[in-house]
Amino acid sequence: MKKIDKKVADSYFKTRTTLIMIYLAIGAIVSYGVVLFAEPLSEITFNGIPLHYYMGAQGAVLTFIILLFVNAIVSDKVDKKYGIDEARNESIGSGKTVDH
Amino acid sequence: MDTQFLVSLAFILVTFGLYIGIAVYNQAKATSDFYVAGRGVPPIYNGMAIGADWMSAASFIGMAGTVMVMGYDGLGYIMGWTGGYLLLTFLMAPQLRKYGRYTVPEFIGDRYGSNLARLIAAVATIIISFTYSIGQMSGSGVVIGRLLEVDYRIGTIIGACLIAFYSALGGMKGITWTQVAQYCVLITAYLVPVIFMALQLTNNPLPWISYGSIIEEMRVLDRELGISEYVVPFTEGTKWQFLALMFTLMAGTAGLPHVIVRFYTVSTMKAARWSGAWALLFIGLLYLSAPAYAAFSRFILMTQVAGSPINQLPAWTASWVDTGMLQVADTSGDGILQWQELQIANDIVVMATPEIANLGVFVIGLMAAGAMAAALSTAGGLMIAISASLSHDIYFRSINPNASDKKRLAVGRWSIVLASLAAGVIALNPPGAITQIVAWAFALASGSFFPALLLGVWWKRSNAKGVIAGMLVGLSVTLGYIFAAKYGGFTILGIIDTGAGVFGASAAIIANVAVSLATKPPSQKIQEEVIDLRYPEQMTYRDGEVWLDDGNDVPPSK
Repeated sequence: MKKIDKKVADSYFKTRTTLIMIYLAIGAIVSYGVVLFAEPLSEITFNGIPLHYYMGAQGAVLTFIILLFVNAIVSDKVDKKYGIDEARNESIGSGKTVDH
Repeated sequence: MDTQFLVSLAFILVTFGLYIGIAVYNQAKATSDFYVAGRGVPPIYNGMAIGADWMSAASFIGMAGTVMVMGYDGLGYIMGWTGGYLLLTFLMAPQLRKYGRYTVPEFIGDRYGSNLARLIAAVATIIISFTYSIGQMSGSGVVIGRLLEVDYRIGTIIGACLIAFYSALGGMKGITWTQVAQYCVLITAYLVPVIFMALQLTNNPLPWISYGSIIEEMRVLDRELGISEYVVPFTEGTKWQFLALMFTLMAGTAGLPHVIVRFYTVSTMKAARWSGAWALLFIGLLYLSAPAYAAFSRFILMTQVAGSPINQLPAWTASWVDTGMLQVADTSGDGILQWQELQIANDIVVMATPEIANLGVFVIGLMAAGAMAAALSTAGGLMIAISASLSHDIYFRSINPNASDKKRLAVGRWSIVLASLAAGVIALNPPGAITQIVAWAFALASGSFFPALLLGVWWKRSNAKGVIAGMLVGLSVTLGYIFAAKYGGFTILGIIDTGAGVFGASAAIIANVAVSLATKPPSQKIQEEVIDLRYPEQMTYRDGEVWLDDGNDVPPSK
C-alpha cells in the first residue's frame, strides 16, 4: 500500500465526474432537448426524415451508444494516467467482494 | 402436419436443446456461481446477456407495432429504453460492482446499514419481477401455441417447465451463457426479415438507411388521404407526457433489479463500463430496426392492402384476419377497403413480415425461435432475481445466516422452480391487469430503486431512515398518481399513468434528502465506504486518506 496525495485522489474523482456530467448533458440534449423543440426541428429534413423524427428513431440512440464507448475508452485512459493497473484491480476486486 | 409445422418445430427443438445443453455444461457449483456467475464474465458476452435479459417478448413482437401505430409519439419508448443505459452505466453500475454484493436489495441493506431497507427492497424486487415474468410466460405460450398449432396453455406450461429446469440447474452462470446464445438467435431472427423487406421495397439491403425514402413517400400519401401525418409529433398525448414517459422509462431501466444484477457478474468497474457500452450496442441493433419495420409495414398496408377491392386483398391477410389481429370492414360499402377501415394490432408488424415479404418457411421458423428466445431469456433473468431475493436477501440474511453452501444452493434452486411454476400457472389465465402492471413496473422502479441507488452511491450523508422514507414515499406517490390518472381522471400537464415515475422519483429524492438531514448521519464506516466508491478497485479510501494498492506491504488498519 502506498499513500496517495489527497489532491491527486480528488483530481481523479473530479476528472471522472466532470466527464460524466458532460456525457449526460449531451445525452439529455439529443433526447429531451430535441423533444422540447420538436415542432421547429420538424422543418429540417435529414435523409428524407424530418429531423425531430430522425433524432428519436436513430440520432439519439446512436449518440447514446457512442457516448458509452467514449466513456469506456476515456475512463481507461484516465485510469492509466493515474497509474491504475487493471490486473491489480481484478485480483483486488475478486478478493474484496463479499462472497458469503 | 404441413412443412411449416415441421420446420418451426425443428427450429424450436434445436434451440431448446442448445439452451439446456449450455445450462448442463455450466452448472452452478458454488453460491457465487449461482448468484453472480463467479464474477468472471467477459464484458462483451455480458453485453449480449444484458441485451437478451433486457429485450422481452414485448420488445421483440410489439415494439415495432407501437411505433407504427403511435407514429412519432411511439419513439419515446425507443429513446427511454435505450437512454436508461446512460444513467445505469455512468451513475451506478461500476460503483455497485465495486461494492461487491450478490443482489440489489443486499446493496441497499448494507450501504444504509438497515435490515428493514433490505427487506423492503427484496419484497419490491419480488413483486416487480414476478408480474413482469407473467407477461413473458404468456408471451412464450402464445408463440409456442401459434406456431406449433397447439393450445396456448400447453405452450405456457412447456415454456415454464423449460425455464424452471435450466435456470435452477445453471443459476446465474448457466443463465449468462444461455442468454448469450438467446441474444444471437433473437437478433438474427429480428434482422433477417427486415433486411429482405428493405431489399424488396428499396433495393437497398440496409433498412436503417433506406427507410427514409419510404417515410418521404408516406408523408405524400398521408397528405393525399388527409389524415394526420405519420411523423407529426404529439398526436397521442401532450409534449409533457412524452417527456415524462421518457424519464420514467430511463429511470426505471436504471432501477430494474434483474438488469442491474448482470453488472455484478463481471470482474471490475472497468469491465462494468464496457459491459454497458456493449449492451447498448447490441440492444441498439434491435431498437434501431424497429422504426424501419414500422415504416415498411405501414407503407405496405397503405399501398398494397388499403385501396384494394375488399374481395381481392393479398393472400397473407386472410390468416391474420382469422386471428383478429387485422380487421378489415368495408364500412362505407363501396367495395374498396379504405385506409381508415383497417384496424391493425401492434403484434402483427413483426410476426407477419415473413409472410408479407414472402420469405418462406425457414424465416417463419426462425422468427418463432427468436420470439421464444426473447421471452425465455428475460424470464430466466427475472427468475434468478426473484430466487436471489428469496433465498439470499430473505432466507440467508434474515432467517438462517448459518446455512451451509449446499443448503443455500438447494433453497435457491427450489425457489426458482416454484417461482417459474407459479408464474406459469398465473399466466394460464392472466388477469387483465397484468399488461398494465408490466407498464407500471418502470414507474415503480423509478420511484423506488432509482432514487435509493442514486443517493446511495453519490451522497454519503443519506441514511437508513432517509432511504426507507424515500422508498415508501416514492412507491406511494407513484401508485397514487397511477390510480388518480388512470381511474380518477386527474392529470398534471396531461401526464398519464405511464409517466408517473417522474413524480415518484422526485418525491422519493426529496423525502430521502429531507429525512436524512433531519436525522443522525450514517456511521463513519458507511460514509467511508461511499467515498471509496469514487475510486477504482486499486485505490482505497480509509481514515481520510487514499491508498494505492501496489501489491506490497499492507499497513494495519487503525
